[in-house]
Amino acid sequence: MEFVSPEGLRLDGRRPTEMRQLRAEIGNVAKADGSAVFEMGNTKVIAAVYGPREVQNKSQQMSDQALVRCEYSMANFSTGDRMRKPKGDRRSTEISLVIRQTMEACILTHLMPRSQIDIFVQVLQADGGTRSACINAATLALQDAGIPMRDIVTSCSAGYLNSTPLLDLNYVEDSAGGPDVTVGLRLLSCGTYGYTLGPMD
Amino acid sequence: MGLPNASEDLSSEMEVDAFRRLFPLRYFERHLAESIRPDARSLSRARNTTISMGAVASADGSALAKIGSTTMLAAIKMEVMTPSLESPDEGCVSIDFHMPPICSPLVRPGRPAEAAPVVAKQLSDTISSSGMINLKELSLVGGKAAWMVYLDIYCLDADGALFDAALLSAVAAFSNLQIPTVSLDDGKIVMLPEEQKEENSEKEPVNKEKRKLTLGGIPFSLTCILHKNYILADPTSEEESIMETLVTVVLDSSNQLVSLYKPGGAVLAYTSAVQDCIALTRQRVKELHQILEEAISGMEID
Repeated sequence: MEFVSPEGLRLDGRRPTEMRQLRAEIGNVAKADGSAVFEMGNTKVIAAVYGPREVQNKSQQMSDQALVRCEYSMANFSTGDRMRKPKGDRRSTEISLVIRQTMEACILTHLMPRSQIDIFVQVLQADGGTRSACINAATLALQDAGIPMRDIVTSCSAGYLNSTPLLDLNYVEDSAGGPDVTVGLRLLSCGTYGYTLGPMD
Repeated sequence: MGLPNASEDLSSEMEVDAFRRLFPLRYFERHLAESIRPDARSLSRARNTTISMGAVASADGSALAKIGSTTMLAAIKMEVMTPSLESPDEGCVSIDFHMPPICSPLVRPGRPAEAAPVVAKQLSDTISSSGMINLKELSLVGGKAAWMVYLDIYCLDADGALFDAALLSAVAAFSNLQIPTVSLDDGKIVMLPEEQKEENSEKEPVNKEKRKLTLGGIPFSLTCILHKNYILADPTSEEESIMETLVTVVLDSSNQLVSLYKPGGAVLAYTSAVQDCIALTRQRVKELHQILEEAISGMEID
């Protein structure tokens, strides 16, 4: 199947190095300490941050830093076919871990010992790049909550199809079977914070 | 802040926010005595309500309803299934209500909120008994194929009156529903994508004309709190946590009672209190009906 036409246009009319339309909003969830909605094309994700607050499970409390927890879940209607198990499956657990480790490295956890910071991310519409949208939304929500961070993390995915490197894959391109990578970058220190390679998302 | 009768307690010595946290009941009662609530609403007024249709582009029908800060996102996905033997020419509606941890600081991951299954049950009972959906309309091929309608409602912000907002979003999502076109392909039902309407004459859509559901009596609801002899309409989560007696009245658009729900609580309601709640609900139904009509006509203009 042709993902890049001879004129150099992708299936949705973008150029290979063109991103989808981005849209972000903060403060959507009144009850949360910080919240954000992030859209990358048709992928829409809402993130809410609660914290720093008291640790719920005292056995996990750390006396010198804050505990960061993250939960990723997809709404039943977010994908083309209705999902049966929106969280607790392996993919969601893995992505929760990835987001937690990414954000934990940027939060100044030593400033908030014996407390807990919860990051909840819910995918409302999934069209490829949900992992990236979640990291971006989580960053914005943490900023909205006023949690001290040493840096801003942003993320995007890229792949390689029809011998062309492509930026910001949508679902069709992602499931085409070519290699793809999601990169999380810390802005100020300009180092690649983390990356995952492989056929995911 | 000149608080009256401040001689017997600490209210004159502390700030308003501290008083609100430490003595919430007294704080509210001070307001109720003046027939007002902390957010400056009168006792019988509901919060600002908005509905936005088509919030989820990938769903067959969706709506986002907000009552004050309480936000509910409802989306409908339809699948084809074989109808059961007892009702071969009827489809099925499955309603699921979720409260993800983002909605409230009280919801913990791994431990579902107490309110979630209660509201879910109330919703499915209300929608099935109101007669809004005619299950026979969901039939495709009698005895062989019918629609299974999955309605998922996600609470994105829980600030009181969860059932009201959830019901409103469900009703709006059903009003927004566009049934996908399907055709019979070798005895199997196949979903047709929107663009293929002009080509493929063998793949004639089985249900080309029947794209929208006809909704019968549409249910609308109002939750009220009873406290001493006050009735507060449309409580916030703070009010719900302090004064725990709730009454939910569901009326349909012809003002007939669909359901009345009072799950215990410290205050026992006399007939007059129940009648007052129903009267408040009647008023609210008119407002909600108007808001829903505006939202639907707003979509049609596009």
